[in-house]
Amino acid sequence: MSSHPRRHPRALAVVLAAQLSASAAWAQEQSPPSSESPAPAEDAPAAVTPEEMEEIEKALAADEKERARPNGDTSPASPTATNDSGVTPLKLPNAISGGTNFLNLSFILDMALAAFSSKEPLQEGAHDPTKNGFNLQQLELSIGSVVDPYFRFDSNIVFSQFGVEIEEAYVTTLDLPASLQVRAGQFLTRFGRINATHPHAWAFVDQPFVMSRYFGAEGNRGLGVEGSWLTPLPWYVEVVGSATDAVGEATARSFFGADAERVLSPLDFQLTGALKQFFPLSDDISLLWGLSAATGPNATGYRNHTSIYGTDVYLKFRPITSASSQQVTLQAEVLYRRRQVPEDVLSDWGGYAQTVWRFSNRWATGVRYEFGTAAKTQEGRVATDPLDPEWTAERQRITASLTYWPTEFSRLRLQAATDRAGWRASPDYSAFLALEVVTGAHGAHAF
Amino acid sequence: MRSLRLFAALCAAVISLTAVPARADLKVVATLPDLAALAKAVGGDKVEVIALALPTQDPHFVDAKPNLALALNRADLLIAAGLDLEIGWLPNLQTGARNNRILTGNTGYLDASRSVDLLEVPSAPVDRSQGDVHPGGNPHYLYDPRQALKVAAAIEARMAQLDAKNAATYKANLAKFTQEVQAAQEGWEKRLAALKGVPVVAFHRTTAYLQNWLGFKTIAFLEPKPGIPPTASHVAQVLVLARTNKAKMVLKEDYYADTNARFLASKIPAPLVTLPGGTDARGGQTYVQRMELMVTRLEQGLAGKGS
Repeated sequence: MSSHPRRHPRALAVVLAAQLSASAAWAQEQSPPSSESPAPAEDAPAAVTPEEMEEIEKALAADEKERARPNGDTSPASPTATNDSGVTPLKLPNAISGGTNFLNLSFILDMALAAFSSKEPLQEGAHDPTKNGFNLQQLELSIGSVVDPYFRFDSNIVFSQFGVEIEEAYVTTLDLPASLQVRAGQFLTRFGRINATHPHAWAFVDQPFVMSRYFGAEGNRGLGVEGSWLTPLPWYVEVVGSATDAVGEATARSFFGADAERVLSPLDFQLTGALKQFFPLSDDISLLWGLSAATGPNATGYRNHTSIYGTDVYLKFRPITSASSQQVTLQAEVLYRRRQVPEDVLSDWGGYAQTVWRFSNRWATGVRYEFGTAAKTQEGRVATDPLDPEWTAERQRITASLTYWPTEFSRLRLQAATDRAGWRASPDYSAFLALEVVTGAHGAHAF
Repeated sequence: MRSLRLFAALCAAVISLTAVPARADLKVVATLPDLAALAKAVGGDKVEVIALALPTQDPHFVDAKPNLALALNRADLLIAAGLDLEIGWLPNLQTGARNNRILTGNTGYLDASRSVDLLEVPSAPVDRSQGDVHPGGNPHYLYDPRQALKVAAAIEARMAQLDAKNAATYKANLAKFTQEVQAAQEGWEKRLAALKGVPVVAFHRTTAYLQNWLGFKTIAFLEPKPGIPPTASHVAQVLVLARTNKAKMVLKEDYYADTNARFLASKIPAPLVTLPGGTDARGGQTYVQRMELMVTRLEQGLAGKGS
């Protein structure tokens, strides 16, 4: 990882010497011959001594630890049904756009330098680095704006090296009564915490493999309609339900997936429900807890269904009652899948748990653990999975990462992982160095 | 029988937990605690005021916690500082609140910056290579009681519009508040008369309105660019500048890290004055008390004592 210039004391000293001599000379010229007010600085020499320089560096190091910083982790399940990407474009400042705010644009570029020990790495996410060398993970264009007093429009269009894809394009109602909100169009379903978000909001460079295994490389999304209700209870309780098309190899894998089945009845849609609750345990500690379920037809036979159940927790410690930059988050999701197949029901588990510690204003480190069991039949024997025939044993992956934010608009990440797939002879190893920049309208961060 | 009693007790507990103590006529949510304090001064007992940010929190970086959306869901009036100060977190909450009254452009949304005499409005186009420059102007205007009074007047007008039956009360409260602030302001100006022309170093560009009011000069900022944390070479430059110009104080808000500013102050040498980042509205502090605290700290700073 390219370190910040300030980490090279020798180089810094040279630069400083140059700068200081310049400013000292400037200072001598500028210094007014003031005679009044016995300044406390009277006797102190204006120039900075090397010892002082050392102290400055020490003080800076301490400040790095202390200072509260933006929450770069912009994450999933926002309190809002919209803007889950964490980078949803918002108003361009009036001064820039000349007082009109008809369209807000932002671009997000993700690229990575990757190295894998395996010839065929198990990286199923559509935005994961997948090969040795440089990888363009995505160039995402977010466009959004208020349509009229009743709707707002959001879209995320992703450019890969050889194509363009409409990831999301939906409208959100702004004016429904009774704390209701409806989204319609193509959107990521709000199953769990990470599914509804885009790579920009992820703490790690790649997608947890449970998501690509259960929902597909792009995460679970589809054309459809979603309703959500913010209940009038004294704490935050949101109920979400959606119906989406159950097709798409990369978006509804456990359902119709690549099969182009015809919709014959409402049962041929994927139905998703979620309950999201938030508990502000104190000013400094917050807990978000979600329960999700999705059910829809699968392609293994007439009226065969797949059901996926999940729960997610997000615990965040960020002291705001005093100046501090310590920030610790714990995020975990567990999913359970049942698939009706001819003459049997297959079930399996998958999930991940991650913790990220932002230990200074620009630095964070994190670890993630993931697991996925082999599909079992009703009798408990390992089944031949129609989607992942090679998945005959448990897979685990452990990932560690280090993040550096120059500002909230850019980050550099170094990530290493060991992937232990039970059906492979030896563990795989990988390392990524990833760069992300966000430019354009200032996006608001979801919680 | 026993289970019935238990059930009754449980019901009572739930009801007492959920019951709203006193029904206010107007539910107000302010992004900053300073704005909340102004809203409370104008609204009095007719309003219930919630601040989204704490005074100990950098208002640029607030988490969009879902419970804040819940507060907005039930609000009649949202008061924001504007000028993109809250752009990183407020818009999500507004959309997520499912409350069209407080959406930008509706009467339940008040952008307080509209009533202020803005400073540091960039005259040339800005981009992010200059750091976190607010293209609409400097948003830290509540450090100046004259601007605060303008904001209070705007709040009064909006409250009267939303809740006409209490308009007279709001008007009377505003008159009382104005009198109180102006009386105090006279005293503050007297006490800080010696601050005129005094060179100081500040951490972030929060001092624009304060210096416009009190007449001191901010000769340098610890941040090399707004929002960019101090670097060693920049601190060294600031130190040279501060010594050359005989800076009398180093100012920083309590939500900024301490060590670096403290070091600079000790090397100049000059006292480090920690300014309160906002009104402790939740703890019952008023805007006048908050300003009193700030003035006292500046006064001590002038006398050579840090805080």
